[in-house]
Parts: sequence; C-alpha cells; structure tokens
Amino acid sequence: MINSVFRTKDGKLNTYLVIGASMAAVVIILSVLSIFWTPYSPTAMSAAQRFKAPTFAHIFGTDNFGRDIFSRVMKAIGTSFLISVFVVLISGTAGILIGSVTGYFGGIIDTVVMRVVDAINGFPSILLALVVISLLGKGRANVVLALAIAFTPSFVRIVRGEFIRLRDADYIIRARLMGAKKTRILFLHILPNIFSTFWVSVTIGFNNAILAESGLSYLGIGVQAPDATLGSMLSDAQGYLGTAPWYALAPGLTIVWMVLSAAMLSEGISRRKKGVR
Amino acid sequence: MTYILKKIATLIITLFLVSVLAFLAFQIIPGDVVTSILGTEATPEREDALRAELGLDKPPVERYINWATGVLRGDFGKSYRYSKNMNEMMPVADLIGDKLPVTLWLALLSLILTILISIPLGVLWAGTKNKFFDGILNVLTQGSMAVPAFFLGILVTYLFGIIFKAFIPGSYVGYKDDFPGFISYMIFPAIAIAIPKTGMTARFLRNSTLTELKSDYVRTAKSKGVTDGHILFKHVLRNAMLPVVTFLGMIIAEVVAGSIVVEQVFALPGIGRLLISAISTRDFPVVEILILYITMVVIIVYFIVDIIYRILDPRIRVE
Amino acid sequence: MIKIENLTISFDDKKAVSDISLEIKPGEILGLVGESGSGKSVTALSLMGLMSHEAVLESGRVTFGDTCLLKAGEKPDEKMLRSYRGKHMSMVFQEPMTSLNPTMKVGPQVAEQLLLHAKDRYPDAQSRRKCVVETFESVGLKEADSLYDKYPHQLSGGMRQRVMIAMAVILHPELIIADEPTTALDVTIQNQIVRLLKEINERENNSMLFITHDLNLARRICTRLLVMKDGKVVERGDTEKIFTDPQTDYAKKLIAAVPGRVKHPEIDINNSTGNKILSVRDLSVFYKEQSKKLFGGKINRQVVFSAGFDIYEGETLGLVGESGCGKSSLCKAILGINTNIKGSIENKTVRPQMIFQDPYSSLNPVRTIGWQLEEPLYTMDVLDKDIKTDKKWRKEQALKMLERVGLDESYYSRMPSQLSGGQRQRVSIAQALITKPKLIFADEPVSALDVTIQDQVLDLLEDLQQEYGIAYLFISHDINVIHRVSDRIMVMKDGHILEIGDRDKVFEDPENAYTKELLAEP
Repeated sequence: MINSVFRTKDGKLNTYLVIGASMAAVVIILSVLSIFWTPYSPTAMSAAQRFKAPTFAHIFGTDNFGRDIFSRVMKAIGTSFLISVFVVLISGTAGILIGSVTGYFGGIIDTVVMRVVDAINGFPSILLALVVISLLGKGRANVVLALAIAFTPSFVRIVRGEFIRLRDADYIIRARLMGAKKTRILFLHILPNIFSTFWVSVTIGFNNAILAESGLSYLGIGVQAPDATLGSMLSDAQGYLGTAPWYALAPGLTIVWMVLSAAMLSEGISRRKKGVR
Repeated sequence: MTYILKKIATLIITLFLVSVLAFLAFQIIPGDVVTSILGTEATPEREDALRAELGLDKPPVERYINWATGVLRGDFGKSYRYSKNMNEMMPVADLIGDKLPVTLWLALLSLILTILISIPLGVLWAGTKNKFFDGILNVLTQGSMAVPAFFLGILVTYLFGIIFKAFIPGSYVGYKDDFPGFISYMIFPAIAIAIPKTGMTARFLRNSTLTELKSDYVRTAKSKGVTDGHILFKHVLRNAMLPVVTFLGMIIAEVVAGSIVVEQVFALPGIGRLLISAISTRDFPVVEILILYITMVVIIVYFIVDIIYRILDPRIRVE
Repeated sequence: MIKIENLTISFDDKKAVSDISLEIKPGEILGLVGESGSGKSVTALSLMGLMSHEAVLESGRVTFGDTCLLKAGEKPDEKMLRSYRGKHMSMVFQEPMTSLNPTMKVGPQVAEQLLLHAKDRYPDAQSRRKCVVETFESVGLKEADSLYDKYPHQLSGGMRQRVMIAMAVILHPELIIADEPTTALDVTIQNQIVRLLKEINERENNSMLFITHDLNLARRICTRLLVMKDGKVVERGDTEKIFTDPQTDYAKKLIAAVPGRVKHPEIDINNSTGNKILSVRDLSVFYKEQSKKLFGGKINRQVVFSAGFDIYEGETLGLVGESGCGKSSLCKAILGINTNIKGSIENKTVRPQMIFQDPYSSLNPVRTIGWQLEEPLYTMDVLDKDIKTDKKWRKEQALKMLERVGLDESYYSRMPSQLSGGQRQRVSIAQALITKPKLIFADEPVSALDVTIQDQVLDLLEDLQQEYGIAYLFISHDINVIHRVSDRIMVMKDGHILEIGDRDKVFEDPENAYTKELLAEP
C-alpha cells in the first residue's frame, strides 16, 4: 500500500514524492517536538555564549544574546507550520465552497465573485496581506486571517475552473438526466474528480503561505516578539552578517527547506496524477 | 479597436472600484482618527478644529468625492504621522515625492534581468538533449524558486558585499545625484528579485516549448525536411512564448511586491519602505495612496500584456 | 520504387510492428487498413524516418530507389533523410487544424518547402509566392492569392486539408503518404478530398500510401490493400479480391463488420407500435454568446430553427447531418439540458437517457462501474414515490444489467480506466438502460470505436431495443451506420430539418438536393 503510493502508474519510483514526503516529515516532527521539547530554552540568554559558531553543543550556533539558534529555529518552524496549516485549511475550504457553487451554477453571482477574485488575484498576495494587517493590526491570528483572505481567491479560481470543466462533462450530463439532486452531483459526482488537482494546489498554497508568513515577520508586521519566527530571526541576523553569518543562514535555509518540501510534494502529486490516466 | 476601448473602459471602472474600496477600508472602517493623532489629552475644541481641517465632519459620500477629486488633481491628502512643522501636517504627495522612481527602477531592472536570462535559458533547456545539463538546470531552478526574496537579498549582500566586496552595503546614492552609481548599486537588489523569477520563467518556457515540440505542426515541419534548429526558432518559439507572455504579466505584479520586501533588505528609500512604516504606524492616508499607486501599475501592466498577447497570437488578434 | 523490408519497431520492448514488408510502385495507391493500434501509422512514419525517439528499430530496412533510408543497427543519417523529406516524399495528416502552425500564415508555410529544397529554382520571394499560388489553384483552392496571407484558423477544415495537400505536392514528390486524411472532415468534404487525391495520383503518376480505418473508403481509392493487425500484415492483395474473397479469418471478420448499404433482412424489422411518445413542434434553440460590440451584452445565437418531428414507440429515428448542423443542440434542448428554447416539446416518457460518443468521458473516472450502475436506481428511488429499493436489490440489478451487456460480474468493482473503449461503451449503455427508459438519445455512440467493436455494439443496441421496446434517436455522421440502424431518417443542415421520411424512401428517392449529395454513394 505505502509502496504503491510512492510509485507512478508504470511502477517507477516517484522520486519527487519520496523526497518531498521525507523533507516534510522532518518539518512535521520538529514542529510537533518543539511543543514539548527543545535542546535549550529558546529564550534563555547568556552573555558568555554570544555569537558561538556551530558546534556539537549548539548545532546552529548562538545569536547576539547567546540564545541557542537551533532551539529558536525549532520553535519558529512550529509557528510557521501551524500558521500555514490554518491558512491552507481556511482558504482551501472557502475555495471549495465558493468555487463549486459559482462554477457549477454560473450566473450573476459567479460573475460578481469572479470579478472580485480576478481583481484580488492580480494583486500580489503579500501586499494584500499587508493591507489586511494594516487594518486589523499585528499578531498571530491576524496573520492567519490576512493570509487566508489573500489565498482564498486562488483556490476559488482553481476549484471553479474544475467545476466549469466538469459541469458539462458527458457523465455529469448523464447524472442530471438520471435526476440526481444538485448537491449530490456537486459533492458525490464532481468533487471527488477534482481532488487530484486540488491536492497540488494545497501544496502550492503551503509553499506560498510559508513564504508569505516569513516575509511578513521579516518586515516586522507578522507574528510579534518574543515568539521566534524565521522571518524575524533573519531580520535580526542581518545586522551581524559579517560577524555571525550562520545566524542568518540557519533560519534562511530552514525556510528554503520547508518551501522545497512543499514544492517537491506538489510536483510528486502532479506526476502521480498524470500517471493515472 | 472596439476591444481596446472596451478594455480601457473596464480599466477605468476597476480603478474607480479600487479607489472606493481603498477609501472605505482606510477612511471609513478605522473610524475617527483625531484622538489617535492628538492623543487623549487634547481639548474638544482642538479636536473639532482638526476634524474640520481633515474634512472628517462631512458625510462619507462627500468625503469620498473631495478625496477623489483631490487625488485627480494631485492632492493626495495629509499624513497622520509626519508633520512639516509644528502646526502643519505633511502632505502625502511630499512624503512620496521621489520614492516612486526608486521602486520602479528596481522593478524594471529585475524584470529586464529576468527576461534576458530566462528566455534564452528556457529555450536552450528545451532544446538540449544533454541529460547532465538538464538535471543541473532542474535542480537549480527548483532550488531558486524556494528561496524567498529577502533571504536572497541577505545572501547577495553577504556574497557580493562582504565576501567579494563588489559593493558596500548601505552606500545607496540617489538617482538624481549619481545615476551610474545608483544603477550599479541597484543591480544587486535586482539580482535578488530576479533569481527566483528567472527560475520560474525558464521552467515555464521550457515546459511550454516541450509541449509545443510534441504538437502536430512540428511533425508536419519535420516531414517537410526542416532542421531541428529551424523548427525550434521559426516554428515553435512564437507558439511557446504565448503562455509565457501571460506568465510574465503575473511575474511583474510579483516583482513589484518583491521590490517592496527587498527595499527593506538593502535599505532603499522606495515606496516599499514607506508602505511598511506607514502600516506599522497606521498612517492610513499614506497606505491608501500607495495601494492605489500599486494597483494602477499592476492593472496597466496587465493591459499591456493583454495587447502584446493579441499581437503575437493571430487567432485572437484585434481585427 | 519504395520498399520496406522485414521491418520490426518496438517501444519499451513492446513490438509496435513486426516483420513488415511492403513495396509501393509508381502510379499505384497502396492502402494500409486496420483497427487502431494495428501499427499503420508507425509504418508510415518509419518511411519518412519520423518515428519518435523512444522507437527502436530492431530489424529490417527502408529503401527509396537505390538509397537506403533506414537500416536496423545503423544510426539514421538525418541530413540525408531531410533531403528526401518534402522533396521526394511527403505526408498529409489527419488533423488539418493542428497540423498547420497556428501562428504562421499558410502561404509561407507552404513556401518554406521551396526555400528548403528548391532555392535555386525559386530564388526570390516573388517567384516562390507565384509557385505556391499556382499549387493552391491546382488543388482546388479559390482566391489563392489572398489565401496566401491567411492564418490557418481563418480557413475551413476542408480548405486547410487542401493547403496540407498543396504542401505535399508542391515539389512533385515520388511518394505521398496520406495518414487518415479525411477522418476529421465532414462527409461531403471527405468525398471532395478523396477525389482530389485520386486525381493528383493520376496526374502526377506518383506512388501513394493511403492509411485508413475506413474500409469503404479504402475500397474506393486503393489499388492494392495491406490488412494489418497487432503490428503484423495479415493479408495483402488487390482491393477487390480482398473484399470479395478474403482469405484470413481476421480479414473476413473485418469485412463482415463494415456497415454497408446492403439490407440485412433479419434486422430489418420495424418495431414501432405506432404510439407517439415524443412530439416536437416549432422548436427553436438558442445559445447565449458574448457580443463583440462595445458595451454590448449577451446575444442569443439561434442554432436550431423551428424543428418539428415525432418519435414513435420502439422505432429508431436516424439523424444525419454534418458537424455544427445542430444535431446535438436539438437533443440537449429536448432533454432539458439547454433551456434557452422556444416552441413545444411533449414527452410522454420518463427520464429519457443519453449515450455519448466518447467512451472516455461518459463514465465518471473516480467511481467504480458498480456505483455508476446503481446511481440511476438510487435517484429513481428518491424521485419516484412508488418505487422503493434497497442496496441488495440495486446490486442485483446492476449485476444483471452487466451480464446483459456482455460483461461478467468482475467488472462490478472495476474503475473505468481499467476498461477498453468498447467495454466502456457497454457500461454506458447499461447505465442508460438500467431504469428501463422508453426513449434513448444516442449521440454518435459508435463513432469512436473500431469497426469490429462498432458492429458488436450496434448488435447490442438492436437486441436491447427489441427486448425493452425502446425508441432511439440515433445521431451519426456515418451514412452507412445510419442506413443500418434506422427505421426513419431525418436530415439536418445549418439548424434546419430538411427532410424526414422512411429510410428506403430517403435513400432511394431524396427530395432535397443536399440530402442527395450527402447520401450519394460515392
């Protein structure tokens, strides 16, 4: 079973999916672990331990306050991961609900919704998040809300596109001729058909959520101190590039790792999808 | 022609709607800003005077009309946070001043870099039969897309600024003072923005070229005895570029967004830094104008992209 | 003389063609016939050296006169091959739309040929243009000069195929390969193109390799035939000989399955009871379209113009017409899928069903066959107050129906992707019939199937009609299929019904000039 998940239809190993899943597993394990345990306290300062290059004791080194960077990165991964999960969950669900109804029924509501969605979609998502945050204020929940609002349109677009593509498919016309109820057609006949496409956009959504969250916290308008975030660590580290380059590299490369894992997963899933038919 | 007129009409309507939304969002929803400007200590008379000065005592529709006509005339309103002197608030126009060209130059430079590198790269990549070259490019572009612009900015600073000493971080000069110096400094932030976009565009172009290479008309060309190189450049390229044009349009919007973040990394006095500080201090009139500005740029870019697409594709060309 | 000797080509270790030999003489048209996947196209592409990169040439060789173009074990000489392609041999493909470059004007696409192979004779643009225009005229294209500067999308399907043919003949090659050149075209255009190809063959006295799945067509045009199956040549000989006296079992089966216009007395029973079950009066169908005018709203485009006809219980009404004539729109309007209509539809049957052309899109790809067969029963339970069903009964019915359409119960839990085209079409029929409707709309139900499968599915449809007393509105572009199944025939053109009448009457004595042209035995 597990073996078959990681193989394409012709039996070859789906390398992208394997690499993506392993990288994502590291992220998930570290973020869950960070709730209970970190090697050091992420906030414990020590003047004696300032700017220690990576050693076995501090594998990512220490920062300007002598805090253990690895422990802080672990906490930050947890925060970033949790925010991304909520963002994708909210915007994905909203996308399915709005996209399925507007796509299947069309009409005036669809026109209005699509105008709005197109307008927002053309707008860079981080800017939109900035606008929402400027209105709502900073903080963890507002970041989630801002990013969810910014990402919903792209999900609506994808789900709607699939519903439009399928609403006139021969087998859906036949379902209508049978007399199946509209909700049954929407959720039992069409919805299972869009999942393969939907999972790809979920992983892309993750990818963008991680980038946007770290971007916001780098700009100082995301999750606020004292919570460690990858973006705010980078922003702090920038001042010490000459003396402690590892301070910037650790959170930076962590972001790259998280984004890559999502990108690999999405590539792997879309390859799987292509293999099916 | 009708098509272009129709497009321009929608363009104006969209701008109007955005201006209404921006006005609603930043002037109506936040409520009365007078206390937040003057603090809680101010006398009621002083508050009323300020309210009258800002026009906040009038009904919303009138306030919108006043504001919108002001914007059309070049009067962008006044900042809540900055003041010119003790008794006068800073006009937003003065605040924005010469910041916009900095951001536009940055976006333009990044875009030029992206197009110059990604298009030949994507075509060569699609044309190559070398497995090693293919693999290297695959890893490089996939990797480049995973690096956020601000981290790239930091890496560029570290690599070119601190290790190679190709420029001195923080030694920005204004474009009016020393244009060559300005450009040679701006090239580094532009690189930081361009790298992921180059990776994306090259991948996209490669895929669209590969798809086109499998199409029937390529088989026809082969059956006529056309060489592979000729097929790639004379037959396939134009067709493969069609989706790339749309893609580049979306990239431009992201380049503008990327500029805003990267300005922060390189301490550039563009509108991005102004926007961030205005958001942090809840300086709504400034945010509002900047959002309108950016929307306008994005909409006009989409318009131009649409026209280019129509020129390239005879199937939907304006008759 | 062009020869293929003992050619074996494989993809991923699977043989696409094995041990094929053939030769084409000047002046003859050699037909390559067979069902999909029989290796016809691979054989044709190998002549040009145009197989895809994954293809492995395991044995054999291709020779053109004294030159060896391809040989197993030797790397093909691309430069030499290119000097032959287009100049000494050329190809006409199936899809004229996608086979032309959409962003290049058609004239220059043809002129490219001259630039590549005959630059010495046509050194300047003016002389090349003149040559292309002359060739356009010789293949029956009108206003050739203005056509030169048009893009492919501005041409009709038939014109595009003529451009493709002009491209193929402009340098007077010794060999023309035509790969299903008329399959994507309408019947009347098809006839014109076939005549043109034959005329070119006579005029140029060249060799032609004609690939087709349509045996009637092969019979009309080819001097000799090669029958292929699973990558092998199973029979070869003069066309008439193969048709009148096939030797192998497969050829016999293939030829028997061809829907001809000979009457089959055993199936020529009119089942109609004379009860009117559907009557359509003065029906007009519209589609909403975006206006191109500034600030213009949606405009209603009419696709069917006051149609009126009846369907009687148990009969088959055949509907013929070329693509875009409004056949499908008429069906969808009657079934209530398109509600943008005027006129009256009186339907006395309960939930008529539809069978579609494409077996790959008419089943839900994520649901099992069993689920899809039970679904109509479930909705029937919900909709009809007096019918109560349970899961066990529904499963029983589904299994019974599967068996009835010739599929065993192992198909119950399979997914559509595990089925072949013919099997899928059987499931579609089962799904349409499981609630025992009295009226079925069959929209080109066998057009996507190979000829032997087509025959089986038509048999099944006829058997079920007898058994359940169903009436069919049977749409097809294939005149022979229509002739075989219909009791009455209705002819449509440009949204108008031109003629309705008994089959034999319409075939033997059509009233309308267009009907005459459409039904003419070529």
